[in-house]
Amino acid sequence: MEEVLIKTHQLTKRYGTVPVVNTLNLEVKSGEIFGFLGPNGAGKTTTIKMLTGLMEPSEGEAYICGYDIRKQATQAKALMAYVPDQPKLYGKLSAREFLLLMASLYRMPKDVSAKRAEMLMEMFGLSERADELLEGYSHGMRQKVVLASALIHQPKVMLLDEPTVGLDPASARLLKDVLQALAKQGASIFLSTHILEIAERMCHRVGILKAGKLIAQGSPEELRQTVGHDGESLEDIFLDLTGDQESDELIRSLEGDS
Amino acid sequence: MKFTLPPTLEAPPLPQSFVRDFMLLTKNQLRVTWNKWRHRPKKTWIVMGSLYAGLLIFITYLGSLAYGAIGNVPYELGQGLLSLLFMSGLIAQIFFGITAAFSSLYMSEDLELLFTAPVSVRAVFAVKSLSVFVSNSVIAVIFMLLPGVFYGLLFQTGGFFYLLVVLVTLSFLILGTALAELFNLLIMRIVPPHRSKEAIGLIGAVAGIMMALMFQIPNLMMGREKQFDFNSWLGGNTQIFEVMNFFPWGWGSKALASAMSDNALGGLAWSLLILLLGVLLFSLAFSLVERGFRRGFISLSQGEGGQRRRTKRKEKGLTSGQILLKDYSDQGRKSSPLEQIFATQPGGDMTGAQAPALVGIWSVAKKDLLYLKRDAREWFGYLTPLILMAFFIAQYLFSGSKASRSSLITIFIMYTIMFSGNMALQSFGREGESDWLLNSVPLAGWPVVLGKLLASVLPTLVLMEALLVGTGAAIGLDYSVVVALAVGAVLLSLGSSAIGLFYSINNSRYNPESPQQRIAPSASLMMYLINLVFILFLALGITYIFHPAELIAVLEQLPPATYEGGFLSALTYGLYLISRPLLWPAWAGVLIGILVTGGVWSGMFFGFMAATVRQSRKGFRVEIVTGKKKRG
Repeated sequence: MEEVLIKTHQLTKRYGTVPVVNTLNLEVKSGEIFGFLGPNGAGKTTTIKMLTGLMEPSEGEAYICGYDIRKQATQAKALMAYVPDQPKLYGKLSAREFLLLMASLYRMPKDVSAKRAEMLMEMFGLSERADELLEGYSHGMRQKVVLASALIHQPKVMLLDEPTVGLDPASARLLKDVLQALAKQGASIFLSTHILEIAERMCHRVGILKAGKLIAQGSPEELRQTVGHDGESLEDIFLDLTGDQESDELIRSLEGDS
Repeated sequence: MKFTLPPTLEAPPLPQSFVRDFMLLTKNQLRVTWNKWRHRPKKTWIVMGSLYAGLLIFITYLGSLAYGAIGNVPYELGQGLLSLLFMSGLIAQIFFGITAAFSSLYMSEDLELLFTAPVSVRAVFAVKSLSVFVSNSVIAVIFMLLPGVFYGLLFQTGGFFYLLVVLVTLSFLILGTALAELFNLLIMRIVPPHRSKEAIGLIGAVAGIMMALMFQIPNLMMGREKQFDFNSWLGGNTQIFEVMNFFPWGWGSKALASAMSDNALGGLAWSLLILLLGVLLFSLAFSLVERGFRRGFISLSQGEGGQRRRTKRKEKGLTSGQILLKDYSDQGRKSSPLEQIFATQPGGDMTGAQAPALVGIWSVAKKDLLYLKRDAREWFGYLTPLILMAFFIAQYLFSGSKASRSSLITIFIMYTIMFSGNMALQSFGREGESDWLLNSVPLAGWPVVLGKLLASVLPTLVLMEALLVGTGAAIGLDYSVVVALAVGAVLLSLGSSAIGLFYSINNSRYNPESPQQRIAPSASLMMYLINLVFILFLALGITYIFHPAELIAVLEQLPPATYEGGFLSALTYGLYLISRPLLWPAWAGVLIGILVTGGVWSGMFFGFMAATVRQSRKGFRVEIVTGKKKRG
């Protein structure tokens, strides 16, 4: 039986009286890549931050591998990895030093962590600059370091917030392959993205968030059936569901005029 | 690419102890610090070496002052002085510690990473507290260790005394850091997160001003050497010093005094009492970590408490799977906002309905004024002159004679000019990373520059006019003089602001970590120099108008000068020529005075404004400066 590794129950975040995430119920199973879609300000990052324990929910619960992120934070965090949208790193550490630090924070034995660090740096093409300070790295290179550090402790759950931003096509492809390999190992991947093509090709299931509400979830095929337009791309479904078809039509009409 | 990933974890690893987490994080912090030092350029080492040498000279100077001041004081009275110094040190530690704690507890870039890692919040708090401890140690050395050592040297005590000095310093350091962190946690609970950065900045500014004033005290005492007898002052305040014995600073001085009177056990007991209090307060801070530190970081990072408004939608919320389909069919069709926008051809109907230029000027000014109003850190610029002015007024009220009126008014006028220029210097740097905006809208040139001038001059003028008129009335100046001062302040402020704007547009900077650093230091210096020249020429014109009899009498005694070649002769001859109009008839002096004053003011104001406008039309760029890199 597939195990549920990420679960939220009535998860809500309010600023004052305004709900940013509204009674969110979702489950992500072992071996599943779940794409979290939504327009700007829909509440995607807030949801991920609540799942990582970086933000307190106003109501509801979030579980990682069965551990309540608020009450059993250390156990939950030990099994997950978080890739933020902005790769904030220690500028005065080298990539190697940073990976070893992350391994220590996740309590890995030294000999294992050294081998894993070398392997991950090789995989992400960081080996040649492994001993340079991170402050000299480009955004894309830093993102690779964050991805490598997220994989170093063999996480069971991976939460990624816009992971492809700043990555070149080859690195984006590598990320996709890594995430799929990780899913095959039984991990749960939860990723938010704006790039619908990636979600369509990579994710087993997607959830669409609008104004803090989960308005649809399922595989791209299931969503097509929900909308009732076979053969439509995920982009069309997304625009239909999020109510942006008006701008879509307008853009098309403008293209027609020119 | 082919790769194999090892199987994922099935169960979380065993939890680690607090000590292990603390050691790991400390080791990492040390590595970061070591790397930071290792990669510093040589220039930085030289600057830091010079700074430390300067600090050493300053401390030696303070030490010699202390020796001079307490040379004949018996050690019991010296104990009172130590109490005062320990109290000042503890207050300074709290004030500076609050800002240091805020910066390391809530603003560190690694907090997000550490909070998602399986390490205890207490370990993170402990490591972050270490940096507060280190930054406070400088204050502890200046206010506790050095006075203690000087005290010991003065009365030639034994080795155990110095051990106690170290213990007392360490105890005060722990106490000060714990108090600073507790106050910080309290501030984070009572101040809304979106205002906390400003509140902490305000505390930092107040701390800086307090320290500046505190270091003025020895100067004031030395200045009043003849009237001030340190021995009798200490002797006359013994009751206050006895009250101090109920507080930790009193315990510290009692510890050292006991050690001096060969009561080693008593000295040790008083020192340990401070240490115990410090440890207790630290334990209290640790017990509040979850509520204060973690929640503080969370609410700060999510900006809780800010004004968030969302207009209520008429549409009902959507349920899962429901599809939003609006009726934009032709029947009863209501055009959508997007359609309304695109209904007009670009550059079509809008051209005939251009708003007057004043609207653009006001919009630029309003943006800056709102910025000033909403960011309390902007107020610090006004806080410093206010406090310094209060200092001058207090000095005048306590020791002032009629003769010091003119010097007070001169200080005010000088300050109006320098302050206006300084506030204008901040103008273009305020655009920060949004510099593209004013460059891309069709307002470049006069509208932008006049808008900036208005925003820079308005608050400065309101403040300075109130100070000038209020002080003028308080010290009994004539009505006509007060009016002349008020009008003069407007003109001076405008002139100085024009100079400030010119240097601002050409040398603006923005440091996201310290938004108040908005100008290159060399440009700031140049602006002050040009302002001095501006004041000098204005003063010349005003001297022609008022014809001071004392100066004319001196000039009449001087022999005529001639040019004989060389710089010195040219200078003397130039000054001679400049002084001639003072010997002309009064009406001619007034006429030339008005011409010179008006000419200097107009030349400076319109000249610098025109140069700023020219640069605005070419486009300006704010240099982004961070701790490590510049965006050129």
